[in-house]
Amino acid sequence: MSEELVRLKIDDIDVRVPKGTKVVDAAKQAGIDIPVFCHHPKIESVGMCRMCLVEIGTPKRDRSTGEKLLDEGGQPQIEFWPKLETSCTTPVSEGMVVKVSSEKAIEGRKQILEFLLTSHPLDCPICDKGGECSLQDLVMEHGSGESRFLLEDKKHQDKHVQLGDLIVLDRERCIQCARCIRFQKEVAGDPVLAFAERGRNIEIVTFSDPGFNSYFSGNTTDICPVGALTTVDFRFGARSWEMDATASICTHCPVGCNLMLNTRREARANGRQVIKRVMPRQNEQVNEIWICDKGRFAHHFATSEERLTKPLVRIDGKLIETSWKKALEHAAEGLKAAGEGVVGLASGRVSNEDLFNFHTLLKSVGGRAILSDSQAGGELVQQVGVGKGTDLGALGAGDAILVIASDLHEEAPIWWQRVMGAAKRGATLVVANARKTRLDDYAGHVVRYRYQEAARTGLGLLQAITGAKDLSKFASDEPLKSAAKALTEAENLVIFCGVEGLTYAESKSLSDVCAAILVETKNVGRAQNGLIAVWPKNNTQGAWDMGLRPAEGDLEKAFADAKAVYIMAVDPVGDDPSLAESLEGDRFLVVQELFMTPTAELADVVLPAQSFVEREGTFTSGERRVQRFYPAVKALGETKADWRIITSLAASLGIELEDSSAAAVFLQIAEETEAYAEINYQSLAEFEEQWPPVGEEDLYYGGTTFKNRQGLGVQVAPAAEQDQSLKIQWSAPPEFKGKKGYLLVPVVELYNRGATVMPSENLHPRLASPVLWMSLKDAKSIGVIQGAQVELLLDGRTEELQAIAEEGIPEGVVLLGRGLGVPIAEPQYVEVRLKA
Amino acid sequence: MQIPVSEIHEIIDREADDEGSIISALEKVQQHYRYLPKEALILASQRLGVPLSQAYAVATFYNAFSLKPKGKYCLQICMGTACHVRGSPQLLDQMETKFNIKAGETTPDHLFTLETVNCLGACALGPIVVVNDEYSGQMTVQKSDALMKRLIRKEGLD
Repeated sequence: MSEELVRLKIDDIDVRVPKGTKVVDAAKQAGIDIPVFCHHPKIESVGMCRMCLVEIGTPKRDRSTGEKLLDEGGQPQIEFWPKLETSCTTPVSEGMVVKVSSEKAIEGRKQILEFLLTSHPLDCPICDKGGECSLQDLVMEHGSGESRFLLEDKKHQDKHVQLGDLIVLDRERCIQCARCIRFQKEVAGDPVLAFAERGRNIEIVTFSDPGFNSYFSGNTTDICPVGALTTVDFRFGARSWEMDATASICTHCPVGCNLMLNTRREARANGRQVIKRVMPRQNEQVNEIWICDKGRFAHHFATSEERLTKPLVRIDGKLIETSWKKALEHAAEGLKAAGEGVVGLASGRVSNEDLFNFHTLLKSVGGRAILSDSQAGGELVQQVGVGKGTDLGALGAGDAILVIASDLHEEAPIWWQRVMGAAKRGATLVVANARKTRLDDYAGHVVRYRYQEAARTGLGLLQAITGAKDLSKFASDEPLKSAAKALTEAENLVIFCGVEGLTYAESKSLSDVCAAILVETKNVGRAQNGLIAVWPKNNTQGAWDMGLRPAEGDLEKAFADAKAVYIMAVDPVGDDPSLAESLEGDRFLVVQELFMTPTAELADVVLPAQSFVEREGTFTSGERRVQRFYPAVKALGETKADWRIITSLAASLGIELEDSSAAAVFLQIAEETEAYAEINYQSLAEFEEQWPPVGEEDLYYGGTTFKNRQGLGVQVAPAAEQDQSLKIQWSAPPEFKGKKGYLLVPVVELYNRGATVMPSENLHPRLASPVLWMSLKDAKSIGVIQGAQVELLLDGRTEELQAIAEEGIPEGVVLLGRGLGVPIAEPQYVEVRLKA
Repeated sequence: MQIPVSEIHEIIDREADDEGSIISALEKVQQHYRYLPKEALILASQRLGVPLSQAYAVATFYNAFSLKPKGKYCLQICMGTACHVRGSPQLLDQMETKFNIKAGETTPDHLFTLETVNCLGACALGPIVVVNDEYSGQMTVQKSDALMKRLIRKEGLD
């Protein structure tokens, strides 16, 4: 470490910490606990709560010479400051002496606690935070045990303030530490909370509409040192000590946030384990100690009553419950009859083990395994993905990030938060998109292109970077040139490549260009550099790594050519009803799913799968970190893990696949996949100490985020780390074909109405509405008044929608959220007219 | 009360410099309208790049700002120790009766607002009554009655 170290003494222990460290953190690093409420290691200190008072002394100096004065023993004389100081705001200095456990300091803290309790209701027996409450713990340890304050003078305030749809505030319990306010401002980039009034009347208020609608709001309940902020999901749900904790990985987006599932056996569930809450688990390289609200609240699908619990086969046109044996026999018969004409379709929602077995089975019968996620670039991530050891949280001044064709705030909120953080630390952020997104506010360079010109814009950047002649037709002026200059000058470069507004062919072209930029600027093959694809599913990268490939935009033909179709964890008919035709008829259809989807309704055999909370496995994140998740609850009904269903099905077909455990399947993965060669379930479970310390006895310090003792996962190195001579061939995007009407572009909304969100009723008030967004000018020419009903003509059907005009949306384009009940597979031209 | 947005814009623009000028901008708005209209808070937060939450926090923190319309005449009676022992409670009682409002309230015609303050730092002159920044010391019930009459006459209400 090149940082300058400072020596000081805390309670007679010698400590050496980097210059600028606050006394409280220095003490923590030396293993000395100074109690805090308002201080949090991830947020700027303000010294509001006064809990961290200590005695601080500095060496006495001769006023004329500046020399340190020594006592008779030759030791420096220490002059103690007249009053107790807040250790969270005082930076360390050379020779400083800190007394944490002196009589004066102890008495000071005792009095602060007495003050804090004068307006606290002490309703611990009914408080959700009871058992993991900083105030409770610190009063037990440092409090005086009795109060001199008159009970009648206690200030009573509102106890059930619905701060937002997801967060409830108890004003009496609040000790005004402002952690939530500062978290929203500094960490979440969404300053919607504030203090109103002052003194004893001070209270937390929200200033968004709807109230407290930040995507990160749940984290405030983790860092709230008391029970003032609680979630609607867990409120009055259980006591903290009653619950078991199981490590897991979030399945909502490719970030791969580390989770802890808190479960409890409940009588109303017939003694079964029930998931009571989802908590973040520390992984400083992935999600630090935060998770987004979707990860926290949208877990109910995994244990929903609507799940499939028994295998079904079609008899006389109807799906009838049957035994696994009969269902597998029937499925095997159908697949056998199809010979090599079997097509498999799977999404990146399921684990590597499932996808590996799926691919192996399809390969063995001579069929084809298709990945349903229509985004290109998986093989490029394998080559020039981010290097081993990449930590977005360490990007800062001198580094650059390019985000293209993606709205990270909606698609992967934690990446958005970390990219924003990097920009705040001084990294150059280039945001390229066809419309305004929330990341624009933090961008040094905003590049605006027209939908369908994303790849051309990328090529323009490449041209400006390389000056290549064959690219000259893509050459462009400002602001592309200055953005290219910034990317070239950066020491490290990470590119987030999305798929907004792109067809598969355009996505292929754009990801090629992104990879080419990285290679040309030599930002590959090392940590903090490389390509991150913003995948539509949590394990899409894993699916690529397991050998699955997209249908390149022609799923319909693949189905039409098939004699039998085997579909796992995806609902193609729900996403695109026109596909139903190609799946019907005498084509044999096996669907392996959680829910009775529109696709499953067409199936000849339906196989009920387990959700991620009932089984174990591994996911590979967008940063290509392989991470393990563990079974938290007992499996529902007769459901089985996907990989195991495939093994059984393979056995019925006379193909032998690993059937002992997920770990054994992973050993096979490691054998057959070069990049995974060094990984096994043991190495995935390895962990090391991380800073800041969280989730231990000292919950007051970092909050109730869980400490990671179950594994930090292993990041897979891209091929570029071995082979520096890599060349990427860029491809020209498909020619722009002028068509009539408006270009309908599907965009991602975090709270969509998909099968994995809808079972979480808490989120219903926050769900995105199926509205058609358009530019002000287009609204005028169509004759739309804000909120009017319009008709959308696509694929021969008519959809009725509400239209909203907004600034920042390009002309000639209408936007509609994905998964909101109106299926749209790819951008397409549509007719929009006012409803008669 | 209908307030034209452009007028608020003008006031804020005169003070607009950076996010540090929120207090002076709000002060000018307060002086002009004798309170902070909701629109002014929203406009100031947008114009100065300060989150609305923070603008509201500032507006509620300082006593100089009011979110409710104040009267044309703001009567402040000092309730500090010195003024208190010299009889300011009687003055307050007298004014409350006269205007038929409680301390902290405004008359329905938006002419008079009655407020108590805790010390004005001029204890030797107590009891003190302040009318729109104009101090009157050593007040008695008679003197305050005359003061109120004068204000009422000025407004042509007697």
